Amino acid sequence: MPPAAATPAELDALQAQLTQRLLESGEWDRIKFVLAAKLNDSGWTDDMRNRSKERARTIEPLSFNALLEEMLPPAQTSIPLAIRRDVIALIRGYIDQQIE
Amino acid sequence: MNGIQGCPHIAALVGLGDLASGPLRKFQEVVAWEARRAQQAKTVGATRKKVSIPFCSTCKVPLPRPFVCLHCSYAGCWRSGHVSEHLQESQHIFCADVTTGSIFCSECKDFIYHARVDELYRAAVVTEEEKQTRFQVAKKPRERFQSWVPTAHDVVALENAATIPCQRRRGLLNLGQTCFMNVVLQCFIHNPLLRNYFLGDKHNNRQCKIEEDCTCCEMDKLFAEIFSDEPTAFGPVTFLVTTWRKSTELAGYQQQDAHEFFISTLNNIHSSSRGSTNISCNCIVHSTFAGQLQSDVVCERCGNETSTVDPMLDISLELRGKPGEVLAGENTLTTCLKRYTQREKLGSKQYSCSKCGKSGQEASKRMSIRKLPPVLSFQFKRFEHKGDKSVSRKIDTRVRFPAILDMAPFTTHVMKNAEKENSNGSMSAYPGPITMYEYDLFAVINHEGQINNGHYTNYARYEDEWYRFDDDKVTAASLGSVLASPAYMCFYVKRHLDYKPYTTPSYVLKRENEVAREKEIEREKELSSIKELEDALLATV
Repeated sequence: MPPAAATPAELDALQAQLTQRLLESGEWDRIKFVLAAKLNDSGWTDDMRNRSKERARTIEPLSFNALLEEMLPPAQTSIPLAIRRDVIALIRGYIDQQIE
Repeated sequence: MNGIQGCPHIAALVGLGDLASGPLRKFQEVVAWEARRAQQAKTVGATRKKVSIPFCSTCKVPLPRPFVCLHCSYAGCWRSGHVSEHLQESQHIFCADVTTGSIFCSECKDFIYHARVDELYRAAVVTEEEKQTRFQVAKKPRERFQSWVPTAHDVVALENAATIPCQRRRGLLNLGQTCFMNVVLQCFIHNPLLRNYFLGDKHNNRQCKIEEDCTCCEMDKLFAEIFSDEPTAFGPVTFLVTTWRKSTELAGYQQQDAHEFFISTLNNIHSSSRGSTNISCNCIVHSTFAGQLQSDVVCERCGNETSTVDPMLDISLELRGKPGEVLAGENTLTTCLKRYTQREKLGSKQYSCSKCGKSGQEASKRMSIRKLPPVLSFQFKRFEHKGDKSVSRKIDTRVRFPAILDMAPFTTHVMKNAEKENSNGSMSAYPGPITMYEYDLFAVINHEGQINNGHYTNYARYEDEWYRFDDDKVTAASLGSVLASPAYMCFYVKRHLDYKPYTTPSYVLKRENEVAREKEIEREKELSSIKELEDALLATV
């Protein structure tokens, strides 16, 4: 039997509940650790650090928000697909355990 | 400072003094809370306990990355703007990102920096970490870090000291194919532990009792030159001469191997250090570079495991696997380390088991790092030697290395835990906080060209800025160019130093003994000359 479609409010509530469980069980930290390690190993972290720093030298006027606005889109798109896939799989694995 | 204005609001707050300032006290509490929470999150998975987490005071969602107001109990989301709204509405100025300790000023509308806040952040984090770690061997807690507070004597000395401007980034003149020496010297100059030791006057070349060829004195003179007010390039002539005399294999005007010079100089510094010993030495070289490697050999037949521990000053990494080995992906420092610490089969002729008594057994060996040194030096074995010292060729393969290195997966303790729990790469296998295993890159030695007519250059970092050193030419560089360079050696320094329970260093004990003995000899001389005088007087009576 196909599941009934959830309203946006229900999805928000579900996401909040899952986030809470992830945080309280420490699973959030474990997954974040794996993500950070993979990103660093792939050179992504150093690349972003370098690009942000060099951009910050020339951006005018310099502010965190100005820099974030410029650097966030390329940061997100340059995440290697394999890493994105692996971490999503970890999150999905946890969610599957939590939901009947 | 180049016309960059700091945030006047945080400056005013800092001016009130740490303890008087509520927001700064709250800042430290919040940072300490996060360090405790992170540690708890590591271990809670195995139990049914829950980590207590904050929720956004505005929208009630759980906060993976809380921003807390430093003036009240508000905590909120950054991305949806709730914490900014709170600051505006309640006219509170500062909020802090708990994860990184960054402070946002609502007046300046930006994240701000203040050196004192940075100090408070690190002090709060390190204090928490000290509580969370015990020494594996003695099960004693770490020595608490204490900031340096000048004594009355120090204050007077500082007041009477003249401050001089110094560039601190000085090139080194090439004295004739000596770039191999210059790059290693620059890596010493930018090594925080060596720098602090020699600038701290721990080996004063004018008071040293060694008459000639003291490499420690040469280091002292080198640091004095670099930190002088002379900005032009410096020629390390006496260093070179001393090197020729102490390490004759490096003498002569031809190009030498930088790694050989590195190891040779470390040995010379060690042997000219006061109080250095052959076992468990804590001279500046061993305190800085010495770690321990463990080699575990397992008999495939009976499972008997024998372990040997050897000291190490650096790690030399093969760039190529054994023939027939499948290399995964690109060549990186991490893959080299994985290769270094993987289990390998020993030939049946190489091993005979002490337990099951059979010789010619199948056995496997595994290397791991038992003790991590404060400074980790890596050499990529680029020069293939054939039999005698002659080099056949250079391996030019590029190796990618990171600015931040987590050494935990290569330590004996974590590797054994990981084997037991069958959890690869899991942080719950790390005893103690993760920063204990984290290293930051601070220098890279590059070699370009062929073996016999190549050139050495290096990159080195001071705080956050990287520089390229090509003998006498020093230029600003980006992290990107450092990480793309053809690395031969890489130097990493531990993020936080961990101090074991205090024991008086051997060189201090030795000096105290010497002083005590000299006093004793003086006393005896005095007594015997008094006695002579008395005898002479009695003789005249």
